[in-house]
Amino acid sequence: MDSSIAQKTWELENNILTVETPDPSSDSIFYYDEAAQAKFQQEKPWANDHHYFKRVKISALALLKMVVHARSGGTIEVMGLMQGKTDGDAIIVMDAFALPVEGTETRVNAQADAYEYMVDYSQTNKQAGRLENVVGWYHSHPGYGCWLSGIDVSTQMLNQQFQEPFLAVVIDPTRTVSAGKVEIGAFRTYPEGYKPTDDPISEYQTIPLNKIEDFGVHCKQYYPLDITYFKSSLDCHLLDLLWNKYWVNTLSSSPLLGNGDYVAGQISDLAEKLEQAENQLAHSRIGPLGPPRKKEESQLAKITRDSAKITVEQVHGLMSQVIKDILFNSVRQSNRSHNEQSGPEPMVEA
Amino acid sequence: MASSSSSGLTFKLHPLVIVNISDHYTRVKSQTNPPPLTSTSATVNGVEHQQQAPRVYGCVIGVQRGRTVEIFNNFELLYDPSTHSLDRPFLEKKQELYKKVFPHFYILGWYSTGSDAQESDMHIHKALMDINESPLYVLLNPTINPAQKDLPVTIYESELHVIDGIPQLIFVRSSYTIETVEAERISVDHVAHLKPSDGGSAATQLAAHLTGIHSAIKMLNSRIRVLHHYLVGMQKGDIPCENSLLRQVSSLLRRLPAIESEKFQDDFLMEYNDTLLITYLAMFTNCSSTMNELVDKFNTAYDRHSRRGGRTAFI
Repeated sequence: MDSSIAQKTWELENNILTVETPDPSSDSIFYYDEAAQAKFQQEKPWANDHHYFKRVKISALALLKMVVHARSGGTIEVMGLMQGKTDGDAIIVMDAFALPVEGTETRVNAQADAYEYMVDYSQTNKQAGRLENVVGWYHSHPGYGCWLSGIDVSTQMLNQQFQEPFLAVVIDPTRTVSAGKVEIGAFRTYPEGYKPTDDPISEYQTIPLNKIEDFGVHCKQYYPLDITYFKSSLDCHLLDLLWNKYWVNTLSSSPLLGNGDYVAGQISDLAEKLEQAENQLAHSRIGPLGPPRKKEESQLAKITRDSAKITVEQVHGLMSQVIKDILFNSVRQSNRSHNEQSGPEPMVEA
Repeated sequence: MASSSSSGLTFKLHPLVIVNISDHYTRVKSQTNPPPLTSTSATVNGVEHQQQAPRVYGCVIGVQRGRTVEIFNNFELLYDPSTHSLDRPFLEKKQELYKKVFPHFYILGWYSTGSDAQESDMHIHKALMDINESPLYVLLNPTINPAQKDLPVTIYESELHVIDGIPQLIFVRSSYTIETVEAERISVDHVAHLKPSDGGSAATQLAAHLTGIHSAIKMLNSRIRVLHHYLVGMQKGDIPCENSLLRQVSSLLRRLPAIESEKFQDDFLMEYNDTLLITYLAMFTNCSSTMNELVDKFNTAYDRHSRRGGRTAFI
């Protein structure tokens, strides 16, 4: 009698525990079931439904590797491949690796150069115990947003013909650092000639002028997928502990210093767009414009949004600086005499 | 086996390495112990018998500049524990592949999982010595211990010590710091706390940013409190006075204020003013855009009544 009560209490407690910390059995996502994957490959449910895959799950490791690789390229586009598997209508990305090619937007199929590398790498990986196959490719768009350019669209369409299931991921490392959150997008293209029946509302992002044509021409040819992230229980544990050492970096990061060039570029781009908008407005003066175009925002409204975004990022950066100043520099206030208090009010600790 | 190292090298470890090792371990663990196909949550959970979790092995790569060793990345190795043989061709192949993508990195050592360094590890260590004369050994302890406050990662170096008259290589522990680049920090933060990845409103972005800084400051505060408590105890006489610690605390305090020059003030105010200027311009843009829309609406509304008159089109 006693023991069953004790067991029930213990089970209850354990259940509570397992809800809070990720259950080790949830690591089942790491298990690669070869038979199930092969079966899925043969069934090809995506062949009939062009909108079949809707979600992407990216592992913590893959994300970290991709972002670090993208950032290490600086202003040069870099690319790599992702390995993983499928799960119903979701594509799961377990790992990523870099390819030794310098991506330029003019190369139609940069992967041709890297085939040997890819084969070698996949072979060694299989030996080392990573059994997943390549499920997609990623590349970076440093500073100009997460979308597929014309070349990217044609590359992806080719991939989706011959290497299904395949996914395209784009990362913007510059915007990641500037905004303080990861800028990433996952896409799949529609086959040639297919028109999507509904217009998916995608999140607005600002595109620099020199790329905006490329974006506009092709933006209807692909659709974005939802991205979620996952990590193993050990990862969770380690990341929690990592925070104990990490908080120093968070406090000491200075986004303003790191991204000065990017912000300057954004502002000048905004200035050009303003000039364009001015011309547009001057020509479309008076008279009833016909049925009001509710869906398309005017150029000016878009510019307003862009400028707000730049400002918000800048202000966040400044806030960090001010906080650091108060924390570490305000000792001097007690030394200074009251006559000398010339600093702006918000910075001075009373 | 574990005394503190005396080689004087400083080690910097990137979080990517830690996540990589953890992923390798989880992968191997799930392949060898496949999860039950039907997940009945009430039964399996806490009762995982201590199945012999397999040890995983791999190589760490990075850069050594002078006395600083920075570990950036790692990859797997094939090692047979029964025959103590390291798969050489595999290692070379992998090394070649990684050289192509990261030409600056070279092999700094190797890693493994487990709770403590073992005698057999010395074999691998010696095997790697022909690639790098003084390899590192990074050990990750994969057992999840919720009471643990410190990262279960230790770095060992090998040193030649004379024990019982025989010079032997033994492992000595070294300390390390966690080093990161901004992008890495953001993605680690992102995955660790799963911050909102979509735009959200400006309010949520602000909240996310400030929460991050707030937690960091909270940590700083708690650490300072610990120090303070300790010092008060020393003053009261509860704890024996430790001069070296006192010296360190005193030097720390002397570093405040961090910067005091006039030039810094000027630059800081200039940056502040720049940001205010940007805000002003953004406001301006916003106002003119709203004004423009208002005028458009006005024109649309009132044009119908006065067709003639000054407000008609001119192009």
